[in-house]
Amino acid sequence: MTPLATAGRFAYFLADFGRAVARRPPPASAVLEEAYRIGVRSLPVLLVIAIFVGTNLALQGADAFAPLGGQHLVGTFVAMAGVREMAPVIAAAMIAAKAGTEMASQIAVMRIREQIDALEVMAVNPLWYLVLPRLLGIVLVLPALTILAIFVTLVASWAVVVLQLGQSGAVFLAQAREAVTGADLVFCMAKGLVFGVIIALVSCFFGFHAGRGPEGVGRATNAAVVTVSVAVVFLNWLLSAVFYG
Amino acid sequence: MTGSLALVGRIGLFAARIVLGTLTGRVPLRALVAHLHAVLVRCLAPVLAVVFPFGMVMALQGLHIFQLYGAQRLLSPFVAAAIIRELSPVMASTLVAAQGGSSFAAELGAMRIKEELDATDVMAVDSVAFHAAPRAIALAVACPILNVFGCVSGILGGYVSAVWLLGEPAGIWWSALWDMTSPADLWASVLKTSVFGAIIGLLSCFLGYHARGGAAGVGRAVNDTVVWSVVSFIAANYLLTSAFLAGGAS
Repeated sequence: MTPLATAGRFAYFLADFGRAVARRPPPASAVLEEAYRIGVRSLPVLLVIAIFVGTNLALQGADAFAPLGGQHLVGTFVAMAGVREMAPVIAAAMIAAKAGTEMASQIAVMRIREQIDALEVMAVNPLWYLVLPRLLGIVLVLPALTILAIFVTLVASWAVVVLQLGQSGAVFLAQAREAVTGADLVFCMAKGLVFGVIIALVSCFFGFHAGRGPEGVGRATNAAVVTVSVAVVFLNWLLSAVFYG
Repeated sequence: MTGSLALVGRIGLFAARIVLGTLTGRVPLRALVAHLHAVLVRCLAPVLAVVFPFGMVMALQGLHIFQLYGAQRLLSPFVAAAIIRELSPVMASTLVAAQGGSSFAAELGAMRIKEELDATDVMAVDSVAFHAAPRAIALAVACPILNVFGCVSGILGGYVSAVWLLGEPAGIWWSALWDMTSPADLWASVLKTSVFGAIIGLLSCFLGYHARGGAAGVGRAVNDTVVWSVVSFIAANYLLTSAFLAGGAS
């Protein structure tokens, strides 16, 4: 399928989804179950990634600013690059890799086993029953996960600055506190919200349009995670350029 | 705990079978080239599309820091160093895992489910050397190549953001570009991504080769491939970065 045809199908998917969702309130228990599944199950992976992003930011920041005589700049650098950009993108990328691929492959398996057709036969709208809880679940948890990723990134950077590089932790924290404002954190949560919507809709879309057989499931999962990563990074630039530019 | 230890052992044995198959010349060279071509073609556009906006964002945020100190001259060396040392290796490898690794896991998983791998073994052909090894090696080779494209794309992204959108002078951008980057940084970047590519290749082929449980099993293998290879190479990244910086690569 050409990219243009996929884009057209996605637009139809969104229109169908809008129509399906407008009619009825969401299935509340399913929303909470998805929120639990996405949030809690992705947590260990997200924390590990956030730790290593933080450690590397501190190492590279310290090295890059050494010619400026700027050990005090590490805090500013970690706060700006880490909090504003890396943490939201990494959180979204990991949720896309873990929860997004899971959505795509679950729905693709339901598609090839004709379970989605069965839902339609029973007059249950599959977009309302399968996609809406996943969308609301991820929208509920991703902003929170983003804040958590920011916190873990900062703690890991602090640990590297103090333990590995032997610099002053107090200076680091003072610089970081000066560079990060409450508005930054709110904006990061807003980013998480947007990324969550993209992850859920795109992953479910590729799951819905999976081809036949096991290859179809694999290919749908694959296409979902790549499309989501590209979309998230591009939107991240767009949002940052609008907010900070 | 014993379960995860056994898993590490099985991955090690799988790696040994790939290395052994390569050394004894049982890896089909033509398949290797075909897979390498497939990975490069599949991953090039995503890698460029992801690293380019990252370069733009780094220039945007970097300018905020350097403006505080009136040191805008340092913007382009900062972007180049950040892209070459960290961002391009990590983002390019993430995309190689998401696109190349996961598609190989899906292919091998589908072959396992359809018993094609068993059929290969029945014909006295080593299925690891014949099907898994060329894919794993292709990923390990493709990753550093794609990283180079990622570096170029990220620096161009920074240029577009800094010069076209934020109005920094182009001459200073290009003349100062390599002030913080040395050839050793480039080699470190290539070495890093070779290690990342080997990790991705090994894990994706292992998980695809051992997929179980029908179409859902293939989906799970693809999912696990992306997650575990990203976690593993990001952890390896910290160790490698520490080693390079301590070894004075910069």
